[in-house]
Amino acid sequence: MAKVILEPIGEPIDAVLDAASARQNASAMTALNAALTEKRAAVRAGWGKEYVARVHEKGRLTTWERIDRLRDPDAHVLPVGTLVNHGVTFGEKEQTSPGAGVVTAFARVGGRWVIVIANDNTVASGSWWPRTPEKIQRAQEIALRLRVPVVYLVDCSGLFLPEQSHTFPGRTGAGAIFKMNARLSDAGVPQIAGVLGDCIAGGGYMPIISDVVYMTEQAYMVIAGAALVKGGKAQKITSLTIGGPDVHVHLSACADHRVPDDDACVDAIRAEVGKLPGSAAPYYRRDAAPEPPRFAPSEIDAIFPADHRMPYDVRQVIARLVDASLFWEILPGTGREMICGVARIGGLYAGIIANNQHLTPHPDSDGIKRPGGILYREGIAKISTFSRACNDDGLPIVWLQDISGFDIGAEAEKLGLLGYGSSLIYTNSTNQTPMITVLLRKASGAGYYALAGLPYEPVLQLSSPIARLAVMEGRTLAIGAFRTKLDDQFNIVASSKKEEETIRKGMEDVEKRIAADMDPVRAASRMDTDEVITMPEIRDYLLAAIEMSYQAYGFRRVKNPRIWSLHDLRVLAP
Amino acid sequence: MFRRVLVANRGEIAARILRACREMGIETVAVHSTADEGSPHLTLADRRICLGPPQAARSYLDMDAVLQAAEQTECQAVHPGYGFLAENALFAARCASQSLTFIGPPPRLIRTMGDKVEARRTMRRAGVETIPGSDGLVADVGEAARIADKVGYPVFLKATAGGGGKGMRQCEDEGALKRNFPLASGEAASAFGNPDLYVEKAIVGGRHIEFQILADAWGNAVHLGERECSVQRHHQKLIEESPSPAMDPATRRAIGASTAAALAGLGYVNAGTVEFLREPSGNLYFMEMNTRLQVEHPVTEEVTGIDIVKEQIRIAANERLSIAQDQIQIKGHALEFRLNAEDPDAGFRPSPGTITRFTAPVAARGVRLETHLNATADGAAGSAPYDVPPWYDSLIAKMIVSAPDRAGAIAAAVRALEATRIEGIKTTLPLHLRVLKDPTFLSGAYDVTILSSIMQGV
Repeated sequence: MAKVILEPIGEPIDAVLDAASARQNASAMTALNAALTEKRAAVRAGWGKEYVARVHEKGRLTTWERIDRLRDPDAHVLPVGTLVNHGVTFGEKEQTSPGAGVVTAFARVGGRWVIVIANDNTVASGSWWPRTPEKIQRAQEIALRLRVPVVYLVDCSGLFLPEQSHTFPGRTGAGAIFKMNARLSDAGVPQIAGVLGDCIAGGGYMPIISDVVYMTEQAYMVIAGAALVKGGKAQKITSLTIGGPDVHVHLSACADHRVPDDDACVDAIRAEVGKLPGSAAPYYRRDAAPEPPRFAPSEIDAIFPADHRMPYDVRQVIARLVDASLFWEILPGTGREMICGVARIGGLYAGIIANNQHLTPHPDSDGIKRPGGILYREGIAKISTFSRACNDDGLPIVWLQDISGFDIGAEAEKLGLLGYGSSLIYTNSTNQTPMITVLLRKASGAGYYALAGLPYEPVLQLSSPIARLAVMEGRTLAIGAFRTKLDDQFNIVASSKKEEETIRKGMEDVEKRIAADMDPVRAASRMDTDEVITMPEIRDYLLAAIEMSYQAYGFRRVKNPRIWSLHDLRVLAP
Repeated sequence: MFRRVLVANRGEIAARILRACREMGIETVAVHSTADEGSPHLTLADRRICLGPPQAARSYLDMDAVLQAAEQTECQAVHPGYGFLAENALFAARCASQSLTFIGPPPRLIRTMGDKVEARRTMRRAGVETIPGSDGLVADVGEAARIADKVGYPVFLKATAGGGGKGMRQCEDEGALKRNFPLASGEAASAFGNPDLYVEKAIVGGRHIEFQILADAWGNAVHLGERECSVQRHHQKLIEESPSPAMDPATRRAIGASTAAALAGLGYVNAGTVEFLREPSGNLYFMEMNTRLQVEHPVTEEVTGIDIVKEQIRIAANERLSIAQDQIQIKGHALEFRLNAEDPDAGFRPSPGTITRFTAPVAARGVRLETHLNATADGAAGSAPYDVPPWYDSLIAKMIVSAPDRAGAIAAAVRALEATRIEGIKTTLPLHLRVLKDPTFLSGAYDVTILSSIMQGV
């Protein structure tokens, strides 16, 4: 029978944990969440109140004020790349570029998701720092993959010149932004631009390929500012007189419409978005409406133990991410170190893959238990097949990572996990269906790759505050580095207390360095993850990403559930 | 705001628009035919471009020439004034395609509201009552007769492409209808390029009352009250006033609101005037709409304090309306007198010639003179002679007089007109003074027959 029967998953939190443990876990998470909130606020503040005041003095709105006016009143905005360039300073003056001077976010406008790319006019006049071009291109890439309309709120004085060698020349430098403009247009993805400030050079080119361009009365677009024009002073030209709306709306037609101010510009863009076809998501919801999980997503914070080595029940996490906490688990009896199945998120079907942290019995012998959070042959085979089936069926795949790595040792090599793992990599590398990866906790080594890490081009890769992204755990690296000083059980063998102390300190230093490397904030700063989010925010981002996966139609396969390949799995391996 | 605007008109309205632009700090380009080379208002413009010979078709109506002038002088926008290209949907569309902002409504609305039958249908659907008559065009004289029977004679046979009083024939009975039908159709074909007719009940003793609307591109629309325009000869207005003596505040609010809402619902943008015919019983029927600035707009400006031309320009620059309905108040009373180069005693025959002197109390309080000529208050020979070109309409100037009430406005008008002298040609000035003495006019209880009554000495 080709029915999709979703079954209840999860239990109330007090059935999962005793109150004390829940409190302890949650409070550890609270501290991390607070630190994250603080970092976000710092980015949001741009270069500070003085720069906000400067923007207001000119009769303009700040970037976030524009975004708040653009979005639907009942919806929040989900940013990506908030922490790009976090902790990085530039030049002798040690300047910072919060958020790399640009906001890239998912926003609902007129009931549709759009991707907003808005230069931060409180940070160096919206200019482009190292990684700003890459951050913009990442947002454009997501838009291209999911065919989601892009709204550019352009307020950009071009490259931040002292750092131009890092942003101008390279393959992913500023020039690639315009290439992505062209590719988006080539794919029929709507692009709408508002020009709201002093847009010079790159800033001047940024809106032009967009389908519709609005300019405020104050705005100008110029290839180069009037200051660089020979004889400009004598002719009394300004950038506004040569590149303002009088020129570009009426004489050059490089822009389409003029509007009095930022408010009017944003309102006009909203109206423009309103002309686009509505979302296909209601169509693909079929008979279902979005439903909240039966257990609150906020409870996820209580599920993760403070000690990263301790296990937890990932089914309880899944239960708090999916609609009505209903889940159709596929092949539950095989490859039990992995959990995979289908659920609805926001009423829309998606595939879910997660690591089981608990011990599971060896397939050949019930008596032997194997640690969780690891990939063995059966698990790999199961999720490979599941990934292929979801791709076949047009189901977006959500990868929830908490993985130490592949199994190692004689059995692993003889069984050929190198091959099985590569088969999985191959599948994910060639999948067309959208994939969303969430690093819940451990994201180690080849396991991170196998479960659709960033190189495998998920449309979104998110990290929780406790994500641990590294080639291996610090302890493992330390063990490797100090192997000669350890016995077979990895305990220190030393001839004196002093030597033991030295070795222990050495191993601790290695662990600390890796721990620092693993900090998701560091990864976010380098764009090795798209955004660090709290556990309760995971569902918000999944709702958005999955709805965006179904918003446009005609560009990717979406099978009706009757004919899913997934049904064959149940016939072949019940 | 636009850096430079081209004024695609002549005469008093060109002067009016140039002045508004100047006050807004906008550079101006004035266009003119060879016949208007000496027109004094051209000195108000920053640049002037000659479009061509005197014939309107080869100058003011020459779209190619006007568009090229705008392109050459790098204008951002064009104001068409009234007449000429002001209600030409094709011109508006061509402006848009060369990124030249047309200061007026979108082409679609010029087209639908310019087609009188379409406009009737559209307004009826929007909930505005129209004069009883045919639903659309009448296919033949038989259908016309059937409808005339239903609504009752007398009826008007009207050209759908006509307007402003042109292309209408009144028919007293079926015989007259059958006689006039082919004549009306033929006239319409040659005058407007469209022979189609519709039938409308001819209301006897009606009053022409029109509402001024302003709408922005953001869906906001307001009304600026009404104008009474019943002092007409052959449907050509001569004297207009605001407010109408026949209007009460409640009716004004109701009709104004429903009209503004109807236009906003249609997506109308910029200034527009909705003309009604008020039958003696008090019912107001939609007659037609003018999708442009009207000649008589100054009387509305005087009683509301709103500069309609400036609002037009702001609306065209995509600004929101700066006033809300509840901020608009009608205060005082204003009258406008059209001073045409015509001889009222000779059937309003155009009176060409040279104006040797133009004296008017230009500095008097409550007196506003709209003209392209130089008038002086003291009668000194400061005003240079002006050859009235025979190629265009005969409007020389508009005298607008305002006061706190109607009686005061009338008294001031008499004083102002008596102090006005246009020497060298015949004008309608003496006729205005006759109207201002007429008891029916003074009472305010007049209708569209008043001028012919006065002239017949009734």
